[in-house]
Amino acid sequence: MKKDISKYYPLIPVFAAYLVLFLVGRNISGMWQLVAMLLFYSALGQAFNIFLGMTGYVDFGYVAFMGVGTYGMALAITKLAHIEGLGIWIIIIGFILALLMSTLLSMAVGAVALRLRGAYFAIATIGVNEGFRFFIEGARIWNGSEGIIFVAELNQILGRKTASSLMTYGADIIVLVIAVLAAVVTLCYMRSKIGYALTALREDEDAAKVMGINTTKYKIIAFITSACFAGLVGASSWALKTPYVFPPEVFEIHYTVEAIIIVLLGGAGTLLGPLAGGLIYGISKYYLSILLPGFQLLIFAPIIIIIIVLFPEGVVGMLKCKLRDSTLARFII
Amino acid sequence: MFLEQFTGNLLQGIVLGAVYGMATMGLSLIFGVLKIVNVGHGAFIMVGAFITLWLFNTLGINPIIAVPVAFAVGMGLGFVFYYTTMRRLIKAPELATLLATFSIGILLEELVKLMFGSEFRGYNWVVGKINLGVTVLPMTKFYACLGSVIIALLLYLWFKKTRAGSAVRSVVEDDEGARVCGVNVGGTYALSFSLGIGLTVASGVLLTMFIPVGINPYMGGGYTLKAFVIAVLGGLSSPYGAFFGGLVFGLIENGSYTIFNLIPGVEPFALTRFLSFVILLAILLIKPTGLLTTK
Repeated sequence: MKKDISKYYPLIPVFAAYLVLFLVGRNISGMWQLVAMLLFYSALGQAFNIFLGMTGYVDFGYVAFMGVGTYGMALAITKLAHIEGLGIWIIIIGFILALLMSTLLSMAVGAVALRLRGAYFAIATIGVNEGFRFFIEGARIWNGSEGIIFVAELNQILGRKTASSLMTYGADIIVLVIAVLAAVVTLCYMRSKIGYALTALREDEDAAKVMGINTTKYKIIAFITSACFAGLVGASSWALKTPYVFPPEVFEIHYTVEAIIIVLLGGAGTLLGPLAGGLIYGISKYYLSILLPGFQLLIFAPIIIIIIVLFPEGVVGMLKCKLRDSTLARFII
Repeated sequence: MFLEQFTGNLLQGIVLGAVYGMATMGLSLIFGVLKIVNVGHGAFIMVGAFITLWLFNTLGINPIIAVPVAFAVGMGLGFVFYYTTMRRLIKAPELATLLATFSIGILLEELVKLMFGSEFRGYNWVVGKINLGVTVLPMTKFYACLGSVIIALLLYLWFKKTRAGSAVRSVVEDDEGARVCGVNVGGTYALSFSLGIGLTVASGVLLTMFIPVGINPYMGGGYTLKAFVIAVLGGLSSPYGAFFGGLVFGLIENGSYTIFNLIPGVEPFALTRFLSFVILLAILLIKPTGLLTTK
């Protein structure tokens, strides 16, 4: 029994960090904006890590899943706004729709792209977000390039007061829950057969196959799980926080890149990595945008290159090496 | 009437396709030799576009002269990025190389934005038109096409006739074998990377001769995606394959635009972009080695 619980010790620092973040945000005035951003980046990293970190595959079209998640929430709210008495349930329906849509898209993309490996996989996915965006704009589905604005519907269903509190901090608390959930799922995967299979295929896919591991199956599991969390993050952090959706914004490749940076910065394939990466990235981005507005990317680009060349295993990866065999080691994965 | 417009558009498509093909040769060369996908490809095209713009608007220099200038600048950039970054990432996992090239792209975009600002620019170089019967082709487009064909031929000759060219070919086949035979593999990597970047930056000049408007630091993204489709059409690791892939892509793009234009209630431009993505996935699924290869 004791052994069973100790398997989940690494969750303690994760929970503690999110609790501290939440308390800082709620109790120190003016901090919520920063905390919300940190929560968003940590959740994004945590979700992307399940695929990128655990399989080592680079999905450049990741933001597409957040995009369709945002559309899921937007569609649920606009299409069901006329039904009386739905109240807060409409948000839940929105999340279910977001999950459904991101799952469907990830199944479609995964069925094609996951047959490919390495560079070919990255190339296949680099067009997913752009392709989907141009599909929405070109075929003029879901209002095409005009996007959907649903502030009025949200106010009408939930009432002005609930809606505004949802936008100011409710959505961020949902993001926090999603981030914690993603961390728990990550650890569950790591501690189960899935995690071992994914580690094996990340290190050497051919060898894993020879050992009788159904690599395709585990890749698809990781891909869909990761996409689902992306859809939820999109639905809460984008659709609920800012109740509008424009195709060029929600399919912007820079979010994928930010997610990759966060995962890599913290340490790909580790549990704490995305959280650490999200905090470091979010805090530095926030203060850089105050100190040197407009220069964040110019400063980040060389930093990323330096990290890739000099510290490819990330912050948590290095920490893991330093703390090996110490008592702290079992808290850090 | 429709048929005439359609053939006219297809002719334009071939001319554009030659330029597209040339703009992809650098990507294929780098992938073929170093097995690195240059995700920052479009940013280098953008650099070429800005070199043309700057030379033309401030110094009044003809865009044709800008081609060798851009090529030289690109070679320089290629050597710098190779020796500072890519050299350490040759055998690294994909994640590292993809993110490194992407970051190089962002760095270039932000540097150019810092120097020139982010508004859309253009230049106006008027040198007359030629009438091809079904369509009227501006001379600038003709020059761009001609320049692409000449550069592609020169690259072909360089590969086949020079010692350095055969060294590159041997490394593409088998880098260990080449090393055993006394080929300077490290030097070949450096040369191929900077040659690839040089070609890409030079292609930026030719592309602006074709489309002399809409030049801004973030113009490269669309070209990156197109270049991937073209490179995959041509088999990803062969520069000549890329050139012919470009011709095919130019035809598909212009042909499908004309057809989508007939469907009411859709935006043909966006659908054309969507189609190129579908083609990319389809080729990767059916024949990842490229449609134009025999393997």
